[in-house]
Amino acid sequence: MTFILRNMWRRKARTFLTIFGIVVGIFALTVLGGMTARMNQQINGMKSYITDKIEVAPAGSSVRMMGGGMGGVKLLELSKVGEIEKVPGVKGASGMIMVQLKAAEGMSQPQMMIGYEPIAGTSMFNNAKLSVGRELQPGDAGKVLLGSTLATDLNAKVGQPVTLLGKQFQVVGIMDTTLGMTDSWAFVPYQDSLNIFLAQNPYFKAEGLTQGIVVFPKQGVDIEALSSKIQGSVAGIKTTSPKQAEKQISNISTIFSAIILGIAFIALFVGGLSVINTMIMSVSERRREIGLKKAIGATTGTILREYLGEALMIGLVAGACGMLLGLLAIAGLNRATHASNVVIFTVTATVIIGPVIFATVLAGLAGLFPALRAARLNPVDALKEE
Amino acid sequence: MSIVTTSGLKKVYTVGDTTINAVNGLDLAIEKGEFLSIMGPSGSGKTTLLHLLGCLDVPTSGTVSIEGKETGDLKPTALASIRREKIGFIFQEFNLLPVLSAVENVELPLRYQKVKPAERRRRALEALAKVGLSERANNKPGQLSGGESQRVAIARALVTEPALVLADEPTGELDTTNTVRIMDLLRELNKQLDLTVAIVTHDPMVAERTRRIISIRDGKIESDKAA
Ligand SMILES: Nc1ncnc2c1ncn2[C@@H]1O[C@H](COP(=O)(O)OP(=O)(O)O)[C@@H](O)[C@H]1O
Ligand SMILES: [Mg+2]
Repeated sequence: MTFILRNMWRRKARTFLTIFGIVVGIFALTVLGGMTARMNQQINGMKSYITDKIEVAPAGSSVRMMGGGMGGVKLLELSKVGEIEKVPGVKGASGMIMVQLKAAEGMSQPQMMIGYEPIAGTSMFNNAKLSVGRELQPGDAGKVLLGSTLATDLNAKVGQPVTLLGKQFQVVGIMDTTLGMTDSWAFVPYQDSLNIFLAQNPYFKAEGLTQGIVVFPKQGVDIEALSSKIQGSVAGIKTTSPKQAEKQISNISTIFSAIILGIAFIALFVGGLSVINTMIMSVSERRREIGLKKAIGATTGTILREYLGEALMIGLVAGACGMLLGLLAIAGLNRATHASNVVIFTVTATVIIGPVIFATVLAGLAGLFPALRAARLNPVDALKEE
Repeated sequence: MSIVTTSGLKKVYTVGDTTINAVNGLDLAIEKGEFLSIMGPSGSGKTTLLHLLGCLDVPTSGTVSIEGKETGDLKPTALASIRREKIGFIFQEFNLLPVLSAVENVELPLRYQKVKPAERRRRALEALAKVGLSERANNKPGQLSGGESQRVAIARALVTEPALVLADEPTGELDTTNTVRIMDLLRELNKQLDLTVAIVTHDPMVAERTRRIISIRDGKIESDKAA
């Protein structure tokens, strides 16, 4: 151990350069890892939302309603809700109207108002808990359920009024922080948001409009089969079952994983090559030493372990430095965006340990070939060298 | 029983079309407590012979036996174990590790013997005391003179209490004063510890200080006589 560190110290500049090369890669890996962890957090939040319901959008729209694609291009007749509710296996369906409260500023999420028709015996948020109050109920009017970030912004308390888009609502509940986008959303009864929507878009004449429909199945009904059944029996709509929704969400996380993988490969290449180079150099300048060690009884395995240890140490030190720098950057960026209630990075155990293990294993693998070369050196030849 | 015996020992090198018989049919026995030198001109095969005696190299044909045990069929790890337990090497260029202090250099063979750190340190300091370098224990090789470096190397060779110490031109890089000192030291250790020492040299001044002189030429023994 002292051995390894002193040998590394002997060639300070070279060791530093090698470590620096890996540090850069690991730094990038850590920061992106933090971003991915945050992404996954949001995705998991969405997944828990979609597991027990079918989403219905106008036919031909490519973007899922909850995916945020609220172009407001196509609308459905509210009568579709009734049609869907007639399909056997459907417990209830609710129209939805989304209105923007405040556009996204910088890196903050947009604030949205979501109107829906509460259905008795169902929960819109099967996994998200309420921190205070209750969900919306059938018959509610002028009531609002607030996401945690939005509630903080509005300084809202349950039972007290808040003003949204010029209209007063009474707060019935505040949701727990999910770290997902619903944190900055307000949920109101369908009719309230429709009124606001029509006031904003006076060229829509019809009263019975909806941007999307959420369908709840009866207990014990196969939700995937029900989704296709609705698709088949109601015209002009496009259903998205939980499985399909999950697949779309997974695609997003696949893209992020691909980016992380790309960075990892760059780190692999740069870091790996510089470790190989450093190790080959330190083996060739220490051939005599290796010969001596063998003469006094070191086995091939002993030499192999010594050099592999050196490579692993380089990886460990570089990995730890890169990771710590990454965490520092994450902490700084998160603080910078804190004011606008935005979290871009999440630090999980994987974000901390992953890059360090990656760097150590990488350096170990890169050091394997030079270490083997050192271990297999013929001591007689090595000792004769000048 | 002899510490080491060889019979029909041969080492052949092939470089391109030419073959070199570095050691060419050599029979030799070294007894416990001997203090001998192997003399010969440059290229006569002294170093090659020493490496064969110390199980660092394997012969092309013939045998080397250490304490009566033939080494011909042994695997590399078994040969390493013989070097670790039975042999102490001393080289012309000292071969101290520059990153380690004097006492840490002396500890190195014990480290490979897996001796515990405290015990290791105690024995290394003891060996340094025997070569008269106690006060230089914490110096790095760069801070030591040639004579001092070679004494550290001698301490490293005897710290494991080996059956046989093999020295390859140990005074080759030293001036006359230091040469005499090193030879006196080796002789002293030979007498006091009953240490068996074989010294390869081409320096008559070194050879005449040993008790037995083996002269070799072209890989063969030319003469073998008590001094
Ligand atoms: N690895 C080798 N390859 C080829 N020839 C060698 C090798 N090692 C030694 N020799 C040759 O073997 C002969 C004996 O060498 P060596 O034992 O080093 O002699 P000495 O130590 O007496 O000077 C020399 O001719 C030398 O060139
Ligand atoms: Mg020689």
